[in-house]
Amino acid sequence: MLIQIVFVPIMLAALFVTWRRAWQRVIRPGEAFVWTIVWGGAAITISLPMVSGRLAAVFGVGRGADFIVYSSVALLYLLVFRLFVDHVKVERQLTLIVRREALRDLPVKSNQP
Amino acid sequence: MSILFERFDAHCGCAPQKFGTISANVKLVAIIPGYNEGQRIGDTVRGALPHVHSVLVVDDGSPDDTALQAKKAGAIVIRHCVNRGQGAALRTGMEGAVALGADVIVQIDADGQHDPSFIPTVAAPIVQGIADVVFGSRFMGVEAEGMTQGRRLLLHAARTFNAFAVGVPTHLTDPQSGYRAFSAAAARVVDFRQDRMAHCSEILRLVTRSKTLRWQEVPVRVRYTADSMRKGQKPWDAARIAWQLLMGAFTK
Repeated sequence: MLIQIVFVPIMLAALFVTWRRAWQRVIRPGEAFVWTIVWGGAAITISLPMVSGRLAAVFGVGRGADFIVYSSVALLYLLVFRLFVDHVKVERQLTLIVRREALRDLPVKSNQP
Repeated sequence: MSILFERFDAHCGCAPQKFGTISANVKLVAIIPGYNEGQRIGDTVRGALPHVHSVLVVDDGSPDDTALQAKKAGAIVIRHCVNRGQGAALRTGMEGAVALGADVIVQIDADGQHDPSFIPTVAAPIVQGIADVVFGSRFMGVEAEGMTQGRRLLLHAARTFNAFAVGVPTHLTDPQSGYRAFSAAAARVVDFRQDRMAHCSEILRLVTRSKTLRWQEVPVRVRYTADSMRKGQKPWDAARIAWQLLMGAFTK
């Protein structure tokens, strides 16, 4: 019972913050929906443990706790991959800035006939 | 001023044949990306200058005196304020060369591996108007000096990897050659974005799968030294390149 008392309010607070940010146009509605699924799914799984047991049976994992661990690992992989992709995007933007600065120093005429 | 061009028979490995003189109207620019190449860049620039109108060195944020040595040797030098990788430096060099009014752009490595006397050979198909992009190959009859068996096997493995993972035709003999030439028009359209080692595979993919660009390979001589082997690519870099290409596929 303790875990429900601690974590469910945290999930609800996260949901509130998510939609508040969407309302403030800090994040896109699509992103807010994805986070709603994450926080809502977590809240339901914590509140009703038998849900994870049923899902585990559907996926053939065995126990509900195992299902949560496996799906968490998969989700973390996905998030880390996303971070890598975002990192590459930032790196490329940095390259563009560095390139622009470098080309600014280019003399108009070449040094050879 | 005129520049003599030599031609090799691509497949028989015959001796070089002079085939004519090229008007000085064709402006050749060599671009050399360099990082911590202060000890070698001067010789590389001096070796390239007799074959081109100008040499553009892109110092990729070196903490050493690469830029100073290149300038002393007679190159035009531009500098990345922070290190961005060889692919990024090459792209900067390409844009710089186009801005300088180059008709043909030849890329060579800073460490002196690429024999500069082959610059005319690499540029010739573009000057003749029969290719837009030319790749220098180490496997078309001109024996590379000091190439180890391990390096040879690695390059053959790279050919297989590029064929399956990137879609580069297997008849391309040297998929990791940094000795290339572009026409100015090709330099404008080959939009490679890989900043680091994977730029080589990306350029190959963009060029060989293009419906408009004409490309060909010509033999070039590469000289490996203990120094250049130490700085060059290692077998485990293959995994890094594969990862960079994977990330690049998700980054538009």
